[in-house]
Amino acid sequence: MNGTKRRVAYGMLGIFIFLCIWHAAATLTNLGRIMPDPVTVFVRFFMAFIEPIGTKTMLFHILTSLRRMLIPYTLGGLAGVFMGVLMGWYRICDAAFMPYIQMLRPIPPIAWIPLSIVWFGFAEGSKYFLIFLACFFTIALTTCDGVHSVDETLVRAARMLGARDRQLFTTIVLPTTVPYIFSGLQVALGSAWATIVAAEMIRSSEGVGWLIVSGQDVGNMTQIMVGIVAIALTGLLITSMMRGVEARLCAWTIRGK
Amino acid sequence: MAGNQPKVRVEHLTKKFGDLLVLDDLNFEVEEGEFLCIVGPTGCGKTTFLNSLTRLYEPTAGDILVNGIPVDPKKQNISYIFQEYSSFPWLTVEQNIRFGLEIKRIPAAEADANVEEMLEVVGLTRFRNYYPRQLSISMLQRVAIARAFATKPELLLMDEPYGQLDIDLRFKLEDELLKLWRRTGTTVLFITHNIEEAVYLSQKIMVLTNKPTSVKTVLDNPLPLPRDVVSADFVALRNKVTDLIKWW
Repeated sequence: MNGTKRRVAYGMLGIFIFLCIWHAAATLTNLGRIMPDPVTVFVRFFMAFIEPIGTKTMLFHILTSLRRMLIPYTLGGLAGVFMGVLMGWYRICDAAFMPYIQMLRPIPPIAWIPLSIVWFGFAEGSKYFLIFLACFFTIALTTCDGVHSVDETLVRAARMLGARDRQLFTTIVLPTTVPYIFSGLQVALGSAWATIVAAEMIRSSEGVGWLIVSGQDVGNMTQIMVGIVAIALTGLLITSMMRGVEARLCAWTIRGK
Repeated sequence: MAGNQPKVRVEHLTKKFGDLLVLDDLNFEVEEGEFLCIVGPTGCGKTTFLNSLTRLYEPTAGDILVNGIPVDPKKQNISYIFQEYSSFPWLTVEQNIRFGLEIKRIPAAEADANVEEMLEVVGLTRFRNYYPRQLSISMLQRVAIARAFATKPELLLMDEPYGQLDIDLRFKLEDELLKLWRRTGTTVLFITHNIEEAVYLSQKIMVLTNKPTSVKTVLDNPLPLPRDVVSADFVALRNKVTDLIKWW
């Protein structure tokens, strides 16, 4: 526990030093002409909880973006786990689907923007589609790896204790796979949240990504930085929450500890 | 047979991998409650033998009957202790021991009682909430033993379970095993390459030949328990078995 406190303290110190350097650079050098100083950014950020940017306050922007991310993330997670288990368990599914996954995965979600607008329109559908793509492949691949990593000795042990195929799945395959699913979910959460800016480049009038896009339109540097800060802080919050859930569900792994 | 049906009866058990004949027409019987050790030269197919016996491998020919019925771990109460450590890493010691009981849907009250008993016999009560990665090697093997005995198996198969342990731990776990065997009356088939271990544990010793494996002979082991590894009778029997497996 003492170690954790020390870690947090060092982390805070690091951030503080960074902010000091940023502030000094922005106020004392020419950097200030292309970048606002941290005090201005953070004051604007916190003010935005009361005073709207555009037509909405900061909380509304964050919650809108979170909703936009969480719905397709959940769908992508479910579909990814399903696909991963299919590919891990049945060789034929692996042979049939793996080439597509390997081909489609490296395509960055923004590359799909024009097509997604044609297919799903300017409303929420196209945004969901981009974020779905950002998480589906990662989760499918890690889940598949998880199923492949099942220890043959443990399968034999369970069989000898009388386990049927369905019981093997729930008692051996699933528990082995859960830590892999979680590492996939963790990585995918990061990429889904990162894709929010791209998704909100498609017409929108609120959200943390929109803060950046509209800041760019009007040349408001502070607003762009406020959008970045909102994405960073919310990202930190949700990934920490995810780690908490993982630590509870995977208490037996070293990773979970 | 003297009227009594043997616990295990193996008839013409044969296993081929492609053209390679591994098990060649094995025939033998094991009586209820017997402790049979199976020894043989290195690489003589001891593990193939056990795996066929449990249908992890399908035998090429022959029958294996337990209580007169073809063997099937889904229907019969059989336990197996492996050479490798096979505790489930995501379950605690207690949950590991309970695993077989839950698979077999034993009522909770009975399962609780069995688990408690096993925890105590193998001395892991204090460690019941530990995960396998927090345990030492000898504790892991005790978890496997407790898990195997918790279902009160009719037949227990052990495949060199102590092969990787150092000598004092092996003696300790062998004594624990004998204690459990006497307490439960389980029929045990114990495979080992360690002749001293076989003489120490068994009531009968089955000696296998080199590949293709067949039964060379079955010896009675009349030495009284607990056995003294340096007594003249013990040494004599050990030497006799050693001579039988010599292939050089």
